[in-house]
Amino acid sequence: MMTDAPGADTRPTAPPEFSAAAIAAMDDVYRFARSLTRDPSDAEDVVQDAYLRAFRSWHTFQPGTDIRRWLFTIARNVFLRSRERGQREVTLDDEQSAVADAAQAQEAWVRGGLDPILDRTDLGPAISAALAQLPESFRAVVVLVDLEDQPYEAAAEVLGIPVGTVRSRLFRGRKLLQHSLAQHARDAGLLPARPSGSPA
Amino acid sequence: MTPDHAKPTTGAEVDCKAALESLFEFLDGELDGSLEERLKAHVHECRPCFERADFERRFLAAVQAARTEERCPKALRERVLSTLRAEGLGA
Repeated sequence: MMTDAPGADTRPTAPPEFSAAAIAAMDDVYRFARSLTRDPSDAEDVVQDAYLRAFRSWHTFQPGTDIRRWLFTIARNVFLRSRERGQREVTLDDEQSAVADAAQAQEAWVRGGLDPILDRTDLGPAISAALAQLPESFRAVVVLVDLEDQPYEAAAEVLGIPVGTVRSRLFRGRKLLQHSLAQHARDAGLLPARPSGSPA
Repeated sequence: MTPDHAKPTTGAEVDCKAALESLFEFLDGELDGSLEERLKAHVHECRPCFERADFERRFLAAVQAARTEERCPKALRERVLSTLRAEGLGA
């Protein structure tokens, strides 16, 4: 999707819409980059590079489509390129899924423990911390769908994965998030000790 | 249970297993109209599924409420704009 611009002599001037829409989405792109990198400095690098690439390839943006989706896609590509981790991610995914499945095995404990505290208004920091601990492949999907309100199809496009994979990663990511939150609640003295055999 | 398992077939009544497998898609508004209606009917009639759906709905609401309004740092915004102006933005 992302293409570098042709030479400066042929590159058309960016339209006013770039300023009006893309620049206005910079907060969202920055938050997405933060969720990917988990590092403010790295996130700034991703945003800077992503906007430069977006500007140079603005002609590939289809008017009428969601510009945030287009910018998220570019930011994600910049992030992957910077980390050179596309192949490694596939290898890790099986292990991450196994951890998620193990966490799900404790679902009754997790649900019973979280249920009384889900409506607390002070859960935000704990949820943010738990999100930051999610493996990247799960975190990206959860952030796009749950925090940035992107539909499954859009998340699939941004991440370059099938919708079925979005569905699967979202399910497992949310279960991991619940497990992590339950651990937080246990550590805070709000939950009984975890049953034996549960994942760390 | 994973969302990879079989979904209820078109027109079939939704049972608990199928309902739980599609629960997140239901709550996310990602099901087609027919399946959404059948799953909704099941959840309203089945107490365990209703309680499970209520838990997941409250969990998702808590996650969405945790969305920070963190903004792009002003210095970064200015740096990006400066770079883009050098590229021709506003030219």
